[in-house]
Amino acid sequence: MGGFFSTIFSSLFGTREMRILILGLDGAGKTTILYRLQVGEVVTTIPTIGFNVETVTYKNLKFQVWDLGGQTSIRPYWRCYYSNTDAVIYVVDSCDRDRIGTSKSELVAMLEEEELKKAILVVFANKQDMEQAMTPTEMANALGLPALKDRKWQIFKTSATKGTGLDEAMEWLVEALKSRQ
Amino acid sequence: MFAKLKKKIAEEAAIAPRPGGAARIPRSVSKESITSVGADSGDDFASDGSSSREDLSSQLLRRNEQIRKLEVKLSDYADQIRNLQKIKEKLENALEKHQDSSMRKFQEQNEAHQASRAKMAEGMALALEKKDQEWMEKLGQVEKEKKMLETQLQEMREQSLNLFQKRDEMDELEGFQQQEIAKVKHMLLKKEESLSKAEQELEACTRELTHAKEVLRDASTESSGLRKDLQELQQQFLELEAQRDELMTAETNAENKITALELREQELQTVIQQLSVDLQNARVAGSGCEKRLEILQVEHESLKVEYEQHKQKVKYFQMHLLLAGVKVYAWMTFEFAERNKLTEQLQEKVCSLEKKLERNLSGDEHVRELLKEKATLEQKLDETRQQVRTDRTHHTETLNQLETQNKELEQKLQIATEALKKSKEAAAEQDLKIQKLQTDLKDERSKLQQQILSEKHQYDQKVTGLESQIAALETAWEFDKTATQHKISQLEKENENLNGSREEYESSLKKQESELNKLKNELSSRETVSVEIAKALEETRKQREELQQQVSHLASLIKEKDQLIDEKCDMLLKQKEELNQLSQDHEAVLLQMHQLQSDIEASHRQAVEKEETTRKEIDELKLQIQECLLAREHEKNVSELEESTRALNSKHLHSPENCVVEQNGEVAAADVIQLQKDNRELEQQIAEKNKMIKQLQQRMTELKKTLQKELKIRPDSEVPEVREKANSEVPNASVTVTNNSDLNDSREINFEYLKHVVLKFMSCRESEAFHLIKAVSVLLNFSQEEENMLKETLEYKMSWFGSKPSPKGSIRPSISSPRTLWP
Repeated sequence: MGGFFSTIFSSLFGTREMRILILGLDGAGKTTILYRLQVGEVVTTIPTIGFNVETVTYKNLKFQVWDLGGQTSIRPYWRCYYSNTDAVIYVVDSCDRDRIGTSKSELVAMLEEEELKKAILVVFANKQDMEQAMTPTEMANALGLPALKDRKWQIFKTSATKGTGLDEAMEWLVEALKSRQ
Repeated sequence: MFAKLKKKIAEEAAIAPRPGGAARIPRSVSKESITSVGADSGDDFASDGSSSREDLSSQLLRRNEQIRKLEVKLSDYADQIRNLQKIKEKLENALEKHQDSSMRKFQEQNEAHQASRAKMAEGMALALEKKDQEWMEKLGQVEKEKKMLETQLQEMREQSLNLFQKRDEMDELEGFQQQEIAKVKHMLLKKEESLSKAEQELEACTRELTHAKEVLRDASTESSGLRKDLQELQQQFLELEAQRDELMTAETNAENKITALELREQELQTVIQQLSVDLQNARVAGSGCEKRLEILQVEHESLKVEYEQHKQKVKYFQMHLLLAGVKVYAWMTFEFAERNKLTEQLQEKVCSLEKKLERNLSGDEHVRELLKEKATLEQKLDETRQQVRTDRTHHTETLNQLETQNKELEQKLQIATEALKKSKEAAAEQDLKIQKLQTDLKDERSKLQQQILSEKHQYDQKVTGLESQIAALETAWEFDKTATQHKISQLEKENENLNGSREEYESSLKKQESELNKLKNELSSRETVSVEIAKALEETRKQREELQQQVSHLASLIKEKDQLIDEKCDMLLKQKEELNQLSQDHEAVLLQMHQLQSDIEASHRQAVEKEETTRKEIDELKLQIQECLLAREHEKNVSELEESTRALNSKHLHSPENCVVEQNGEVAAADVIQLQKDNRELEQQIAEKNKMIKQLQQRMTELKKTLQKELKIRPDSEVPEVREKANSEVPNASVTVTNNSDLNDSREINFEYLKHVVLKFMSCRESEAFHLIKAVSVLLNFSQEEENMLKETLEYKMSWFGSKPSPKGSIRPSISSPRTLWP
């Protein structure tokens, strides 16, 4: 009986596709995360000039996930994709301590956009399988996340190649999206 | 504490130089000694004459530096000398003043003394001598003490220096400690924050747990309540089943009763049938009686009829006889009359006919016939007259016979009437009997009918009662049946409902169990998390403990240091006390000295001594300066000599040194000039090179500026290239070229990006393409109208209805006339 209702509920619920952007500096692992989420496998990627868009189904929720290229020259075009975005997955390379400042400035610039005021922010501290990787708290402080106001955000330590942490992050995201509706 | 110490030391330092320039001199001496040592070391270097040119240049540089240092020192010395001369002049002035004043005082005091001397000369001489001796001793002691104090002061200074150093170290240590403590505190705060977070999480977990437990309890209570309900319902069900069984038994009983009643009904019906049979028999008997009655009546009627017949016969006979007599008479008379009439008629007719024959003589035949007829008729009349006579006779005979018969018949009638009377009586009796019988019959019939009716009524009543009973029972049964069926259906419904509710509850129970399991899992995961957190907490606690240990260690160190400081402070205090004591002693001594100022000679001597010492010092300084100058000259000479010796060595190796030594002055001066020239040249060269470097730096900065300007024009695309360029530092000339290449690269990247975006825009779904409109319009510099047009077109494509938006603005087709079809 409950199952029946839940199926009806989910069928009703799953009608609208959620729009999610995966952003981050070049080489952070966005494309790998996208295809890990979609097909559950590690794919060999080349630097994305442009973007990849895939439909990911997770827990009866359909996501239209946009993985935008993170190279410096095409980073300004991110803002072209901001409208109607439900959530932003911001991927950061945990080992790239040199460019954490750049990552922070990009994140801050992104979060100031009016079109993303209502978007949920999920930060993936990626490449946690590497040694000398920054801890999530360290990264959160480095990115200035605790200072964020009026923003639902969460940081997760992930490893796209090992596939760890993605499920928890997606679980949280799904819950956050559900609770927001 | 330290401030006080510092102050004291500063005071002491301020006090110490006051007594004279004695303190300054040793410094200069020491400096001189250092410089002399430096000069010696220079000599040592010079002895390695066989070294290479580089060594020489380095030595030259060193020499230059030494020269500079010496020059600086010389200037210092000159300044010092000037200062000393000034001081000397001042001192001389002061001395003169002092001398003047002292002379005055001396003269005054001399006068006073001479006056008092005369009085106290002898006593005072002795006392003075004694006191002199004592004072000398005391002075010695004081000097010793002073020396001691000076040494102590030096020690104290050293100690104070040490203390300062230690204080600095302490400060550094404190700084480090504070930093470390701050770090530790920071870490602790973080840990505490994380701890508090973890605790909050834990609390939240525990709350959730408690909540879950409460929910579980509620669920369990609900489940228990449901179970109770279920049990109750089952009990109800059982009761209902028992009721149903009872009802079933009641039904069976009712059925049995019904069967019994049916049996009774059948019996009654048989009884009724019997009764009806009896009735029919009675009826039959009645009918038999009726028949008999009818027979009797018939008999009675036949008897009546016979009687009447008899009567009629008698009457008839009588009548007949009478009638026959009458008839015969009447007939005879009648016939006679008639014959008379006929004879008259015939006589008339014969007369008429005779008349007619008379009248009608024509008709002889007819008259013949008529006469024949008359003859016949007269014959007939004769015959009839005979017959009548015979008949009359016959009639009389018959009359006689009849009268006889009548007599007989009257006799017979009398007998018959008698018999009739008898039969009438019998008939009356029989009638009575019949009436009786009829009345009896009627009574019996009525009785029987009444009986039958009553019985019928009774039976009907019974039957109706039974039927009503049956009907009532049937209705009751049906009612019971319907009621039971209703109850059964209700019970079944209830049962179904209960089953449904039970299933629901079971499902809910399962759900709750699954939720419970989930919660348990969550709990376990949270517990693991909490365990991890606890571990982390323990680790942090350990770290904290370690840090605390470190802190405690540091604190102990600090305490030790503090103790040391305290000890030192104590020491210092002691020394202070000593110092105070000493200063008091000193003050006492000074007081004594002041008292002893009355001894002019002593002061004078002291002044003289001071003068002398100053002079000596000045002399010494002069000597030192001279020595310094000499040493410098010597150094110069030595360097030049070395040069010259090198030159000489290069020229001729075995030249005696004595000659060189003799020619020292001139050669040295020339060498110095040469060296200075070289030096200047080199400095000029250096300056030129510096200028060159500055110019190059300026060009560099200009180039950087131009680069940055160009970068500002395209800031978005060329950051990494610029970084690369900045790293590689390519020569200036190629900068513009590389910039062009950067531009090309960026354009290539942009083009590639544009290509990719447009490709995707064309190939992907409409919903995705809708999001790409903005990117495409930004990349291709679309105007707002064009972007809106694209959006409208896509919306038209996506929607099922609507009209295609007409292209606006620049997209308007360039053909003016409508397109014609191909021919």
